[in-house]
Amino acid sequence: MNHGFYLWMSYGATAIALAIEMATLVARRARARRLIEEERDLEAQD
Amino acid sequence: MNWFYFSSPATFYRLAGWLAPWFFGVAALLAAVGLYYGFIVAPTDAQQGEVYRVIFIHVPAAWMSMFLYFVMAAYSAASLTFNTRLGAMMARSLAPTGALFTFVALWTGAFWGRPTWGTYWAWDARMTSELVLLFLYFGFIALSNAFEDPRRGDRAAALLALIGLVNLPIIYFSVHWWNTLHQGSTVKLTGTSMHVAMLTGMLLMVFAFWTYSIGAALTRVRSIILERERRTRWVRAL
Repeated sequence: MNHGFYLWMSYGATAIALAIEMATLVARRARARRLIEEERDLEAQD
Repeated sequence: MNWFYFSSPATFYRLAGWLAPWFFGVAALLAAVGLYYGFIVAPTDAQQGEVYRVIFIHVPAAWMSMFLYFVMAAYSAASLTFNTRLGAMMARSLAPTGALFTFVALWTGAFWGRPTWGTYWAWDARMTSELVLLFLYFGFIALSNAFEDPRRGDRAAALLALIGLVNLPIIYFSVHWWNTLHQGSTVKLTGTSMHVAMLTGMLLMVFAFWTYSIGAALTRVRSIILERERRTRWVRAL
């Protein structure tokens, strides 16, 4: 019986899930940086 | 070493930034060796054939899903009891990684179950309680973000995390308490019937997922700290 499909679906999905989490970590970091910049701009306007 | 020194978001931010890359590096190394053991060294299973190799991610992901929930609940308890800001932030940072590993455990379990049991899913006690765990993670994430004041979100989510703790013994003992399709524990404190190469590969992957989780949680908590503390002087000085 060929089990390649089940192995690929398991390992492939895990790799994709981990890649998505890494991407969200990078995106969240960028969002936090943007919020700080906005805060600095507001302070400069005051 | 004064541990309370690192309970301040400002000092923990720097410590987390220094530690996170190391944990990611160790995780990558352990995963590489673990997969080498899992695919090259470990022999083919006499009954299940090659598909048993799903255990090298399924079991570590399932263990991590429960362990991360326990740690998340412990941080939640600390934040409720001592009103610590960092405890609540750590609980928030662990939730997405815990949800990810719960999803991976369910998904890989389904693709292991189809060729071995003949079905992707059954409303079996172990699988159902693991699905409940995924919903608990989703509930925690949703509740913590449902309030304009993040501290109120922290408290509400912390309560949910503590209530949800009751699900962990249910998941663990479900295979003993009920007649389940899912098999009982193969690895126990008293020993295991697994081949040494299979066990080595699996334990290496457990440690890889563990170190990855720490790295991801530390990276995420840094962003949470920046978001929460953005009006403070030390963040503006960064």
